[in-house]
Amino acid sequence: MKRLALVLGPLMLVACSPRVALEAPKEPITINLNVKIEHEIRVKVDKDLDALFEKESELF
Amino acid sequence: MKKTLWTLAAALMLPLAAFALNLDDAKGQGLLGEQPDGFLGVVQATPEAVALAQDINQKRRDAYLQIARKNGISLEQVANLAGQKAIERTPKGQYIKTPEGQWVRK
Repeated sequence: MKRLALVLGPLMLVACSPRVALEAPKEPITINLNVKIEHEIRVKVDKDLDALFEKESELF
Repeated sequence: MKKTLWTLAAALMLPLAAFALNLDDAKGQGLLGEQPDGFLGVVQATPEAVALAQDINQKRRDAYLQIARKNGISLEQVANLAGQKAIERTPKGQYIKTPEGQWVRK
């Protein structure tokens, strides 16, 4: 009996916890890939420039 | 004979001596400054400063072009980013050009 309570107790608690419904938004999710790619290139160019500033320090 | 060789050597060194002005000195003396477009600008035109700026700008252009090709963007985009960076790195007291085209001491 005690063991049953131990098993059922948590189960009931779980059963009683409120359900959070995640609904897909009506609008399709669009991710603007252009922005992401541009950002990635920017980061890469930034790195290349840092390397250039270090390597060719007499130019800057 | 030895003397002639030395004279020859000295003569060969002369063009290098004309370039004795280095970039740090030129910037420190307020002759050259960094521009937002990624290239050096002449603040006070002396023949040496103008020649140095031309030489370095050409080398910068080549380097920017390489980075631009590697990343598939334009030379101008790379140069502008480099300009931002160069202006950020400029120590206080040296000249930088504002986007409006005015030379200011940082």
